[in-house]
Amino acid sequence: MNPNEPNDSAEGSFYAIEAVAEITHVSRRLIVVYCESGLIAPVAKPEESHWLFDDGAIQRLRHIEHLRTEFGMNMAGVRMMLETLGELEQLREELRFLRGR
Amino acid sequence: MPAAFQDYYTTLGVSKTATEAEIKKAFRKLARKYHPDVAKDKKTAEEKFKEINEANEVLSDPVKRKKYDELGANWQDGGGYQPPPGGRSGAGHRADGTPGQEFHFEGTGFSDFFEQFFGGAGRRNYGYPSGEQEFAADPGAGRARRGGDIEGDLLVTLDEAMHGTMRPISMQTVDPRTGKTDTHSFTVRIPAGATDGRRIRVPGKGADGTGGGAAGDLYLRVRLAAHPDFRPRGADLYYDLDLAPWEAVLGEHVIVPGLGGAIKVRIPSGTQNGQQLRVRAQGLPIGKTGERGDLYVVSNLQMPTEITDAERELWEKLKAASSFTPRGEAKP
Repeated sequence: MNPNEPNDSAEGSFYAIEAVAEITHVSRRLIVVYCESGLIAPVAKPEESHWLFDDGAIQRLRHIEHLRTEFGMNMAGVRMMLETLGELEQLREELRFLRGR
Repeated sequence: MPAAFQDYYTTLGVSKTATEAEIKKAFRKLARKYHPDVAKDKKTAEEKFKEINEANEVLSDPVKRKKYDELGANWQDGGGYQPPPGGRSGAGHRADGTPGQEFHFEGTGFSDFFEQFFGGAGRRNYGYPSGEQEFAADPGAGRARRGGDIEGDLLVTLDEAMHGTMRPISMQTVDPRTGKTDTHSFTVRIPAGATDGRRIRVPGKGADGTGGGAAGDLYLRVRLAAHPDFRPRGADLYYDLDLAPWEAVLGEHVIVPGLGGAIKVRIPSGTQNGQQLRVRAQGLPIGKTGERGDLYVVSNLQMPTEITDAERELWEKLKAASSFTPRGEAKP
């Protein structure tokens, strides 16, 4: 049996940009570009001197990279797709919740 | 390695023509019996509960149910599913259609069959260009490439989401070229406050890299198991409370089940159907903040369908004496 590897990405965990780059294999420079274009956002923590990201940002970043590299989408396409998929996910959740009645 | 077909109708004990309401009722009844948070014999109940939950997940969703019914019609005994020409299905396929590494999980709470046909994002190489691995074999591109990330679903009960738990997972990978199988066993920590759709990252358990590249990561997507009593929405829980008309009109004290034990709730007089009564901090934990979501008790008025002569007399009396005008007009 392999050594146990409990993951430590508990909610409320924050990642520095270096950690995000390592996890997602997206370069720091590109992460900055995505932030500047508003596709992802660091967690607002005024007391911190550098950017911090949460799990949501990592998921979003993976998603962006997938759309960009797999489907050759440009920034505008990615933006629209993320909005649409986000809305779809929300509606699915709502539907699941309502069906539970 | 074709996944074994799962007979969801038999699992829930309903007919193929069962209505949505019948399916819901059958699920509730079985879930109440076998839910690990509720059942007395947890060990045997757990397996059964997973099967019920999976069946419900598919049959309670009209889109998934339709797909499932079509799958069943095309299923070949022993040979697995024959995909329609041109269609892309199954896990571990690369962008160009050649089979990539195959993955099979144990311990996620879902069968291979579910993973393959109904799993959320599927187990495709997600978040990383899967096609690019093929190009890595081109001359001059012999440098190391990281393996793709893969995703799987992870069934989590409300009780596990409440307290957090460690889950042993065993993952079998099959190399399509050599047919060689490898089994990796590891433990995944499900943190308290895990919400539906949340991904848990397991580093280095994704697809193998090429040319000495590192393996990708495995992402397990949390799917909260349907509970016979509660419906989760974020960290909040909803409980549908059936009430008699007079209980809603006159008010009542009732005991509702909570995740941490029974809770006494006061139903105020004049409670409307669908009205939500909030019980603070009786929901799921909100991340690691130490705070908890709320429990909403939703009033669900039930009308008597059969009444005795004595009851009829009383309702008639009430009708005559009541000043209530639900449609806002004067009584005829």
